[in-house]
Amino acid sequence: QSMSLSVTPAQTAAWRKQIFEQLSERTKREIDNFRHFEQAIEQSVWVKKGTM
Amino acid sequence: MADDKDVLRDVWFGRIPTCFTLNQDEVTEREAEPYYLLLPRVSYLTLVTDKVKKHFLKVMKAEDVEEMWFEYEGTPLKWHYPIGVLFDLHASNTVLPWSITVHFKNFPDRDLLHCPSSSIVEAHFMSSIKEADALKHKSQVVNDMQKKDHKQLWMGLQNDKFDQFWAMNRKLMEYSTEDGGFRYIPFRIYQTMSDRPFIQKLFRPVSPDGNVHTLGDLLKEMDPTALPNDGEPKRYQVVIHGIEPLLETPLQWLSEHLSHPDNFLHICIIPTPTD
Repeated sequence: QSMSLSVTPAQTAAWRKQIFEQLSERTKREIDNFRHFEQAIEQSVWVKKGTM
Repeated sequence: MADDKDVLRDVWFGRIPTCFTLNQDEVTEREAEPYYLLLPRVSYLTLVTDKVKKHFLKVMKAEDVEEMWFEYEGTPLKWHYPIGVLFDLHASNTVLPWSITVHFKNFPDRDLLHCPSSSIVEAHFMSSIKEADALKHKSQVVNDMQKKDHKQLWMGLQNDKFDQFWAMNRKLMEYSTEDGGFRYIPFRIYQTMSDRPFIQKLFRPVSPDGNVHTLGDLLKEMDPTALPNDGEPKRYQVVIHGIEPLLETPLQWLSEHLSHPDNFLHICIIPTPTD
């Protein structure tokens, strides 16, 4: 469900656009230069290992 | 334009590059190398630092090791706050990676809660979710869930499984169209310059006359000093997940999209950097 907001489309666009842009800048700042760092939580992957 | 659902992913997959260094007063058998990790913003320090502990224990004798705790520039870091909140509150606008000091002795009992196992984090996390649902839906949603559903929320966070978490969390984000939003917005406002840990009060997403409440409306009521005065330079930054949403952003939307997995909207008020 979504609520209907009593703000004009222009205002809606401004705050939403700002959030998308800033999140993208955050990724550049905090993650893009550090992708070689190890992740704290390993994504578990099923690896079939066996000697038989 | 990107979809609002993309925001949920961006929030979930936010990471803080971090350099852990052993406190120089710890007794070691040889020099301890720093340890680098990408920490999930939405998780908790004691939940994601097993590798850090293992790394430093290699150079220490068992008898020199007590409960591990973390410090940033003299401030003990509260594990029961989300990692992103700790970073935004104490280390925003500093050079990355975030430099955290690791301690194994002199646990600061006055500042930190003990956390001997991940089950303590789980209890804290689930109690926050229950508190948030009490505010949003009079606890109706969380009480209608089964034990396995609660586990799904926790396991989603613990194992960094976005889909697993959101398959259940979406139920906690529902509301009827006629209500126009949650009963109250679960939020916490943190300020570094205050002695109180955070501000948390009852606040509705819509005013009695039907107007949508915004982030600015919330701050005006809870912490007006955080708002800029006309014609004066901005003294404080209002930071959520490392970004500064416009004060016109509707609070209900923020609660649905920028809440942490614990279902609270954590808002940090920090002084604007002067340089």
